[in-house]
Amino acid sequence: MDLGLTDRVALVTGGRTGIGAAIARALAREGCDVAIVDREHDESADAVVAEVRELGRRGLVIKADVADYDSAQQAVDTVVGQLGRLDILVCNAGITWDGVIWKMTEEQWDSVITVNLKGYFNYNKAAASVFKDQRSGKIVNITSINALRGKHAQANYAASKGGEVALTKSLARELGKFNVNVNAVAPGMVLTEMAQELAPEFLHKAADETVLGRIADPADIAEVVAFLCSDRARHVTGEVIKVDGGQYI
Amino acid sequence: MFKWFGRINYAPFTKVDGFAQHLKDGRLMATRCSQCGATSFPPRADCSVCLSGDFEFTELSGRARLHTFTKIVAAPTGFEDVAPYTVGVVDLEEGGRAVAWFGDSIQEGEIEIGMELQVVPQIFEELEEIKVYYSLERPGTEWVKV
Amino acid sequence: MTRVGIVGIGHTAFGRRSDATVQELAFEAFREAVLDAGIERDAIDASVIGAVPEYHKQRSLAGVVQEYLGLAPKPTWLTEVACASGSAAIRTAWMSIKAGVHDVVAVIGCQKMTELSTPEILALMGRVGEVQWESGFGTTFPAYYAMFAKRHMHEFGTTREQLLDVAVKNHHYGALNPKALFRKEITKKKAAASEDVATPFQVYDCCANADGAACVILAGEETARAVSDKPVWLSGMGCATASMSVLRRPNLVGLPSAEQAAAQAFEMAGMEPANVDVADVHDCFTIAEIMAYEDLGFCPKGEGGPFVADRQTYIGGAVPVNVDGGLKAKGHPIGATGTSMTHEIVLQLRGEAGERQVPDAAVGLTHNVGGIGQYCFVQVLTRE
Repeated sequence: MDLGLTDRVALVTGGRTGIGAAIARALAREGCDVAIVDREHDESADAVVAEVRELGRRGLVIKADVADYDSAQQAVDTVVGQLGRLDILVCNAGITWDGVIWKMTEEQWDSVITVNLKGYFNYNKAAASVFKDQRSGKIVNITSINALRGKHAQANYAASKGGEVALTKSLARELGKFNVNVNAVAPGMVLTEMAQELAPEFLHKAADETVLGRIADPADIAEVVAFLCSDRARHVTGEVIKVDGGQYI
Repeated sequence: MFKWFGRINYAPFTKVDGFAQHLKDGRLMATRCSQCGATSFPPRADCSVCLSGDFEFTELSGRARLHTFTKIVAAPTGFEDVAPYTVGVVDLEEGGRAVAWFGDSIQEGEIEIGMELQVVPQIFEELEEIKVYYSLERPGTEWVKV
Repeated sequence: MTRVGIVGIGHTAFGRRSDATVQELAFEAFREAVLDAGIERDAIDASVIGAVPEYHKQRSLAGVVQEYLGLAPKPTWLTEVACASGSAAIRTAWMSIKAGVHDVVAVIGCQKMTELSTPEILALMGRVGEVQWESGFGTTFPAYYAMFAKRHMHEFGTTREQLLDVAVKNHHYGALNPKALFRKEITKKKAAASEDVATPFQVYDCCANADGAACVILAGEETARAVSDKPVWLSGMGCATASMSVLRRPNLVGLPSAEQAAAQAFEMAGMEPANVDVADVHDCFTIAEIMAYEDLGFCPKGEGGPFVADRQTYIGGAVPVNVDGGLKAKGHPIGATGTSMTHEIVLQLRGEAGERQVPDAAVGLTHNVGGIGQYCFVQVLTRE
């Protein structure tokens, strides 16, 4: 299926590893030039850009802390300046810092909310201003099924992910008249490099929760993101699509 | 949908309904009679020359000249919160006239009968519902056509 | 073909009449006219009501008014052409008499402007032009005429001062008219200090809404001579229209409907503008009177400003205009204005205008405009 994304320009936060890297690769495969934003600029980041270039597209690394408001605007300006335009924003960067609530420190709460929810605000706002004026754009915010169902010892993470859903829906309302689609993708358990380090019993338990009997690859998430970024999904907006193998139905 | 046109709309149903969608997409349209070629702005579906009801939309450049204007201080219902505002009647380059507000690119002090202007399609950005209009801007103003 | 004469006139005070319904106002003017004519009410064959319905709560005004006047079961209907509704009613009655269908017709122009709430009135104010293409931008009745004023000033050098001269003159004469809404003179200084409405207009450039009624009773020539020793003749009747939207007018410095209606009226009467001894024109806004001087041929195009500044339209000048105060000082109950203008000219031609009398007035003219000139009715009335 040709998604018609040739020569579109995308920005992916948290694009250095895991789901973000998979999204960057998938978009490049579909014909996008891709800029990744991450707090580290290391070999992993360079490797993602190298893959993008191997696919015949332009790639760029921008080192920034997504929680920083001004650097988000600068990142968008950099992409427009160096790659000529911006068509797609995928917000994916996020952290966890688990704990039951009666032991959760103020710092645990604030940092997760700030990096995750405020980080998405920072980039959604910067991109929305561009998309509104150019009368086109696609935003996909990566949330989590925990936003929808809650999670033990993840009050902070689940709250930030739930906030991202509300942000997504509000922006869909505001930006629809400018031909901008704003959607969220809610993964369940995803087998990132980090997750592979977990104990086997834990991974089995997660697979058992799905009805498909498997845990997602980052590429499974990326495929749905790529579809949402295309004009084939032009009538989908304000939506949350779970990509969880039936982990939470 | 024509009901999108204007801050307040008193004509939600009209044969030239498509005008508003074109405006939302950044195109200012006149009508042309399919039978005799007579054009009209403001648009009309029924030809005043040959009486035909067949028409098509034809895009205008939006280049215009100011014929007259006024700053409205005593506003009608629905416009109290934006008063005072200045409206101008412009002669369009391709023929016909339009009445519209002056936009942000023109300072009140520079308004002069005879000045060249650009009619620019606009969306009311901050309203929740979709509403469109056009404004009088500096010549050379660019905008996006979808 | 038979001439039509006016044999009876009546006029209420114009102003805020929250004490009366529109039919009660109509009755006051009608009673005065019937007594003035000295006829029996039964002698009236039909009535025509001039009013603008959308300002009233009562639907279908003609029936309610004529019933209250005691004219049922005689024929009646409403004529509506915005601010010229009263003149349209007169023209309708005139046509019916000339056609020989009726002989004596009562014409009642009547209007309440104050039954609606302020927001309702303000909403109506935004629907004067062509609502489809214009009202979305918040245009108003004063705004349209203000744009005419700006263009007139641009093309002919008409000044703000000259616009205010119209207001000062009309308030001067309004002070002499016991039926007027505003009965005090104003100074140019006071007018220039009033609030902005739509530039260049301030409050004193604009006529005020009012409630009121005026009645004229028309009769065919034979009956007119039998009934009245001072019938006033409708010698020239003109009527023309123009595009509803100012976007389709040939220019914005005059009203083509007025030019054409005047030409028809003068031709029918066998008269010229210079023959007119006294006129009532439609000064809904100051510029409207200045354009009227030009459209009617009282002065050349573009010279209306100096014409009023030179006091040519005061008594003693070339042609006294609006010596009853005009819409500006009388107030403008829109359906009643046409019959009110006619009332004044009849008084003048009968020599009964008291302090406002134009000496030896033999030929009079009324110029009644609907909206922004969509409709115009011009009447030339004569004493002989």
